[in-house]
Amino acid sequence: MSLLRDLVLILLGLAAIAIAGFFANDYWIGFGIALLAAIALTESWAILSALSGYISLGHVVFYGLGAYLVVVTWGVIWLPFALLLAAIGACGFAFAIGLPVLRVRGPYFVILTFGVAELVKYALIAIEAALGHASRLVLGAPDPIVILYILLGAATLATLLAAGVRLTNLGHGLRALREDEEAAETLGVPAAQYKLAAFVISAAIPGLVGGAMALRATYFEPNTAFDPMISFAMIAMTIIGGSDDLRGPVLGAILLTGLSEVLWDVAPHAYMLILGILLLVFVRFLPEGLSGLIRRAH
Amino acid sequence: MSEVLFSGQLALAAFIAAANYALIAIGLNLVYGTMRLLNVAHGDIVMLGGYGGYWLFTLLGLSPLLSLVLIAGLAGLLGIITYRGLFRRMLLERRPTARIESNSLLMFFGLSIILQNAAALLFTSTPRGYVYLDRVIALGAVSVTGNRLAAALVAVLIIAAVFLFLRFHPSGLAIRGLIEQREAAAIVGVNIDKVQTASFAVGFGSAAVAGTLISMSSQVSPFMGFPFTIAAFVVVILGGLGNFGGGIIAAVVLGMIETYGVALTSSTWHSILLYGVFVAVLLFRPQGLFGRGKVAR
Repeated sequence: MSLLRDLVLILLGLAAIAIAGFFANDYWIGFGIALLAAIALTESWAILSALSGYISLGHVVFYGLGAYLVVVTWGVIWLPFALLLAAIGACGFAFAIGLPVLRVRGPYFVILTFGVAELVKYALIAIEAALGHASRLVLGAPDPIVILYILLGAATLATLLAAGVRLTNLGHGLRALREDEEAAETLGVPAAQYKLAAFVISAAIPGLVGGAMALRATYFEPNTAFDPMISFAMIAMTIIGGSDDLRGPVLGAILLTGLSEVLWDVAPHAYMLILGILLLVFVRFLPEGLSGLIRRAH
Repeated sequence: MSEVLFSGQLALAAFIAAANYALIAIGLNLVYGTMRLLNVAHGDIVMLGGYGGYWLFTLLGLSPLLSLVLIAGLAGLLGIITYRGLFRRMLLERRPTARIESNSLLMFFGLSIILQNAAALLFTSTPRGYVYLDRVIALGAVSVTGNRLAAALVAVLIIAAVFLFLRFHPSGLAIRGLIEQREAAAIVGVNIDKVQTASFAVGFGSAAVAGTLISMSSQVSPFMGFPFTIAAFVVVILGGLGNFGGGIIAAVVLGMIETYGVALTSSTWHSILLYGVFVAVLLFRPQGLFGRGKVAR
């Protein structure tokens, strides 16, 4: 089973990071945080978008809501509860908007998810302004190493969820919807329920990661927490890595986090430019991604 | 409050916004109508047109009302290159399906990121503007700067020209044929490849011209494009797919919602209104204001 092989490899890799965390200096802890966040986000995004073909360009909405929930409850409730709240809050939002949003198909779904994320961002900016906040600070945020281990948990959970969905009827049903929604429904795939389930599951970890990354940033500002480029990075990483299996999103996350590490500080626009070119080339000419290239090479 | 709402000043502002949106939306409607491609980089072509107007004015002293001819040509060329290089084979090989449509949207999104960041690298992120026709003109009780009035009038002229082209010119008729009945158009001898090339050229060209007109009265910056893309989507979906007349009415509706909405609330509500209308339209009225059964998606 290639799924189990991939799962074991990824979990071994995460275990290696867990051990390396004890010895790492600040630079590598920072890199580890970025990498683990990327893995957690891409694996979650792929649960909905790679399996069902409903490409979400608005997953940052869950990330941003998670960040907001953790920052607002900071110092009020115990951090593990706050992170749990971030994940549940993101799921709750996905559940609330899921049915109407998932009725919209194809490119209209893509652009609608983008619109929803931007709408929530601007609404939150207005709400925060009315409350008298332009941004919120997190005083006494946990040490980066703590955040590394939180994100390690998030990446592990996301990988297990992604593997679990692929192994169950839900995963097979979603793939059937991707190929032909009408035909799958005729054959008895409960399309609406399956899509909603995948949407809610894929929202949980991004909420958690958003919360952890807000602690890392030690502040919350809607424009950064709801930056559409976070959604874009999830898509680009997953598609460049290969979206159909478990290892693809991880490959994409490693490649682009590495590239970002080299380029982001010195030339952020050049980094985004390369990201755009890579996305264009992979979607057009290599839709199976790096993972597909490796598969064909064997 | 009521004297504000019934003032000619707001009505004129709504008209100017509507003329802008109508012009931007025509190109999006053409490309979506003929090929089912949602061009999310459309607003970035507007941005490029804005920079074209800025540089030709600043470096060569060329009036934007003249330079827009050159800019339309260059942007049209960019449209043809984009079509030939990225979409032609994909579209001619297979019928567009939901999968291909989503994929092509991602390609346009990649293009959008490329254009935005290339502009930021070349021109820096600093907003840029120039002064042109900034004399205030009084029309009875209403006053407006010359550049905004001229831009709106030119937009109306171009829209009228596109309408005449689609109604009477053989190529325009071919475009409409393709939008309404793709297979039938091919059977009666419409050269699909040629029509698709023309749609890209006219779509990109008109967007860039809209950008040049906008640069006459507002600053341009590399990341200004996306709100224009969203506004154009609202207009195209509300007006109805391939329905250019409906697009005009939808542009007026959006211009009024925006102008009066902001006047009633505050300018921080501008984005909420725009995205709110966008989401509401996609969720509740995807068939448009005038459509019945036929859904654009």
